[in-house]
Amino acid sequence: MKMNRMNTASRLLALLLTTLVVLSLAACGTKGGDKTDGTSSEPKNAEEAVAMYNDLMAQENDILSENTELWEKVYMSADKGMALQEDGKNYGDFLLSTIESAKDQFTTDEMNLLQGEAEKIRDIENQLTLIEEKYPEVAQQSTDDAMSVPAGSDMTTPLDDGSMQKFPAFEGKDLDGNPVKSDDLFSGNAVTVVNFWFTTCNPCVGELADLDALNRELAEKGGALIGVNTFTLDGDEAAISEAKDVLTKKGATYQNVYFPSDGEAGKFTANIFAYPTTYVVDRNGNIVGEPIVGAITEKNQAETLQKLIDQALAADMG
Amino acid sequence: MDKKFSGVSQTMSRFRGWIQAGATLLTNLHLPNFLKGGLYQGAGKTVCVPGLNCYSCPAASGACPIGAFQAVVGSSKFSFSYYITGILILLGVLLGRFICGFLCPFGWFQELLHKIPTKKFSTKKLKPLTYLKYAVLLVMVFLLPAFLVNDVGMGNPFFCKYLCPQGVLEGAIPLSLANSGIRAALGKLFTWKFSILLSVIALSVLFYRPFCKWLCPLGAFYALFNRVSLFQMKVDKNKCVSCGKCAKACKMDVDVTKTPNHTECIRCGMCIRACPTKAVCFRYGFGDGKDKTNVAEMPQKNKDNKEI
Amino acid sequence: MSCGKKAAAQIVLLMAGAAMLCFGVWRGEAATVLSKAIKLCLECVGIG
Repeated sequence: MKMNRMNTASRLLALLLTTLVVLSLAACGTKGGDKTDGTSSEPKNAEEAVAMYNDLMAQENDILSENTELWEKVYMSADKGMALQEDGKNYGDFLLSTIESAKDQFTTDEMNLLQGEAEKIRDIENQLTLIEEKYPEVAQQSTDDAMSVPAGSDMTTPLDDGSMQKFPAFEGKDLDGNPVKSDDLFSGNAVTVVNFWFTTCNPCVGELADLDALNRELAEKGGALIGVNTFTLDGDEAAISEAKDVLTKKGATYQNVYFPSDGEAGKFTANIFAYPTTYVVDRNGNIVGEPIVGAITEKNQAETLQKLIDQALAADMG
Repeated sequence: MDKKFSGVSQTMSRFRGWIQAGATLLTNLHLPNFLKGGLYQGAGKTVCVPGLNCYSCPAASGACPIGAFQAVVGSSKFSFSYYITGILILLGVLLGRFICGFLCPFGWFQELLHKIPTKKFSTKKLKPLTYLKYAVLLVMVFLLPAFLVNDVGMGNPFFCKYLCPQGVLEGAIPLSLANSGIRAALGKLFTWKFSILLSVIALSVLFYRPFCKWLCPLGAFYALFNRVSLFQMKVDKNKCVSCGKCAKACKMDVDVTKTPNHTECIRCGMCIRACPTKAVCFRYGFGDGKDKTNVAEMPQKNKDNKEI
Repeated sequence: MSCGKKAAAQIVLLMAGAAMLCFGVWRGEAATVLSKAIKLCLECVGIG
């Protein structure tokens, strides 16, 4: 008798716990899920608004990252004097007028494609403006979110619309002791790729050679790649010599920097928990797109990184 | 049936599910991290937990012993981990495979799956597979990470990377759900490991604890210490009526009357509850304690009685 | 295994375990464990 009751109890417990597990997974699921749906309906509260805002941003970015070459042409022909960031100016309208003014550069098919996409962007931008009007804190909040969990990144990836996230400023040194200031570093390069790694991380070390090749490639385009070895923060001597040792063995010659761990950039680094993580930063010190999590030795990760770099370079020229 | 159950052994065995739940919770204390999609990064992770519990689980409160061993062995500085081996020897001698039966989160996970009502299959005929886990321990956890190294002397954690289903269940799945960056990083390796997890789940429904029996390197290590563990099974030959109910009840395919401290015994205590004469119980202490416990437990009986 | 022998083996193993643990901490293994456990090395846990 007792045995039976016990059995039922343990079964009930099992059931309960399984449900809990499923529910908690489902909770996570919806968290990730509401990024992909719920596009056009009105947000009910600020939280939904943030989700929608991010989602729209992601959609816009998807559109822009699809036909990179064509968009690059558009950016190139954009009127250099024309300020992108005028109040009330819709980015979609701006694109449409730019496309119109450069129509001799495109075939009819290309024109149709570009105009269609630009119209989509205009619609998205309109929705974004609506959300921003209703929930003014949203744009701010979506960047704040991104700040607190950098690798977590429900990060928005807007192009030149003013709500970009700044890469945290730092004043540090490279592993040879030369001072490095983030402002000078970023403003001196059309694009800066920042790679976070640590010495005992196998995939991080595995991609050093690839990163060195990328650095050389970037140098030709007016960009640069720097590494941040998290063990070397605050200038730990032993860690620096170990890091240098690994870099030499892997033939990586690009600059590796460290900074104080209690500074803005130090706290940013402490929040990164997945390694390697690679950020793309533009000339204004803004983070372009979402960080690449995982080694770029993986083909699709390398492609994503290249897209972000191209995007930053194109924006710099436009 | 005798209604008056007595003894700690009975109680422990009966509340095993709750103890397992409690141990799983203690091993994964930082639950809010599931929603944040981050890891606990405190000093608690210097120490490893007794069971198989991925330290890339957002909630994990300590390091996984197997993961930590590979991390040390695979680093360029060391090719053996005295620290982890020391901890594992202590745990092995103090508790042995009691850890598998009572404290391991992945063991509990498999048991919960086994409660799903379907036709169940015996693993008795698959006994040779139980030796596989020693090969996993030796090759994937020690030899390959320690000696198959790259040009800077670093090895891959082969078990974590290619085999461990717990890493996918606790690490990859929750993290990728909460974190879009990690979702973007999911690749072929994840597909492979996810298939392993699915197979283990399917097998767990049909068989009792298939991963513990055949693959778990941690279980393999503790198994080696079962014979010398302070935590033991004790069969009172005077009470035993050789009915064979204990062997039938054992889902790890052990006959406790013949080999009370068999490598496969996870001290779950199913035999204790199955025994009609209450001849089987847990014992904790140095040595075999044959004479002392016999006298202490039933001083009224003569220990020279016939053994039937 | 006789009772006395078993107890002796248990004590020896416990001491050996404790000694190994201390030696490991002394040569810096604990720090390696911590540094690995608090960060997620993607490929290492089979995510990438």
